[in-house]
Formats: sequence, structure tokens, C-alpha cells
Amino acid sequence: MTTTENTPKFVRYESTPWKWMRYSAFLLIPLAWGHVLIQDILVGGHGINLDYVAMRWSLVGWRVYDFFLLAFAFAHGMNGLRQVLFDYVLSARKRHLLAWLLFALWLLISALGAIALIGGVKP
Amino acid sequence: MDSRFVSTISGYAKYKGGKGLLAFLLHRITGLGTLLFLTVHITMTSLVYIYAPLYTRLVEIFQWPVIMFIEILLVFCVIYHGANGLRIATIDLFKPRWLQERNSTRAMLITLVVAIILWLPAAGVMGYNMLKYGFGLFGGE
Repeated sequence: MTTTENTPKFVRYESTPWKWMRYSAFLLIPLAWGHVLIQDILVGGHGINLDYVAMRWSLVGWRVYDFFLLAFAFAHGMNGLRQVLFDYVLSARKRHLLAWLLFALWLLISALGAIALIGGVKP
Repeated sequence: MDSRFVSTISGYAKYKGGKGLLAFLLHRITGLGTLLFLTVHITMTSLVYIYAPLYTRLVEIFQWPVIMFIEILLVFCVIYHGANGLRIATIDLFKPRWLQERNSTRAMLITLVVAIILWLPAAGVMGYNMLKYGFGLFGGE
């Protein structure tokens, strides 16, 4: 879509998250499906504990994998929640507030995940 | 509850938009379900660094049979949302001409069937693990 000066502000900004939802979809198919296949199906919830996490994160490659998963999956999800809520919240002021609230929540949870990914298991 | 929310939901229920609407609803429900889990999952996993004893305690709770059952449903959410998302992203970015009203029912059904076919073996393995480790069948604890 070509944007011109006459394009409404909303369309100009909203096309960026619209595109990224689709780009991240392609990335999340291998990332999220791979994660589910390994952790939920091959290993299973009964096989996951502190030692397992420590063993997995001893390989830097898995931390990088998890970092991409954290970055793309959670941002994709929070923006999806924003899009759903914007279908019901129509006032500009409330949308503004909601967007900042969701951004703060995204930042907080992502930071928690990143801290653990960098710090690793600390028994 | 906001009356707009109620009228939107009842509007969805009555809307005669064909099965394409069901794909839209399933996409939202599975996405929101996955996000809810993801929020808990990231926060919980961060405890391995922040406070490991609590992580160990929570992981034990996540091995309760009821949670293992919810996990099987969660995997369906991830598979359906992914399959339908792949369809949406491919159409929107590369093949906009494929998006046609008369195809919507078939597209929805194909996506659902593909998701179920991918999910069934996963549900089988996870169901076996639930019975074995959750209920002590097949020589489990």
C-alpha cells in the first residue's frame, strides 16, 4: 500500500503492525511449533524441571532460540490483544491509554523473560 | 459488561457470514488463549533466575492432570492459530487474489482439518503422558 500525505494518520501507523503481524507469523511457525513439539510433545511437562532448564540453557544456541521466541511471540500476542480490544474500545483517548498500558505490560513481561535468559538458572 | 461487547458477541452468533466467520472467531479465541498461557509461562520461567524454589513448586503444579489436559487444548490453539495465520499471511502478503467470499467456507474447513490432523498425534502422545504420569496408568508413577 502506498501512503500519501492524504492518507489518514490511523492508516499510516496501523499498516506497520499489520505487516509485522504477518512477517512474525512466518517466523513463529518454526519457532513456536518447534518449541511446542520439543517441550510439550517430545519431552513433556513431566520431564521439565530446574535441572532440565539448566541443561537446555547450557547451550547458547537454545538461549538465542528462546530469545527470538520471546521477542516475536509475545509482541505478536500483545499486539493481537490490542487489535482485539480496539474492536471494542472506540474512543481515541481510551485507545491511547490502553495502548500504553499494553505496551508497559509487554515491556515488563519481556524484561522478566530476558533477565532469566541472560542470567540463566540460579538455584 | 459493556453493552457494545455484548452486542458484538451476540452479533457474531447471529451473523450469517458463512464459515469464514468461524475461522475469524477461532483465530481470536485460540490467539487469546495462547497469549494468556504465554504471559503465565514467561513470568513463571523467569523465576528460574529470580526465585528458583518457587519455580520448582509451580512446575509440580503444572504436572497436575487437569493442567496436562489444558496443555493438550493449548497445543490445539497453537496449531490452529499457526495454520490459519499462515493462510492469512500468505494471502495478504503474496496472493490477495485467493481471498474470495465463495472460497471462505472451504478455506475454513481445510484449515480446521489440517490443524486437527496435525494435532491428533500430539494429543495422543500428550494424552498417553497424562494417563501415565498424571493417573499412574501404563506403569507410571
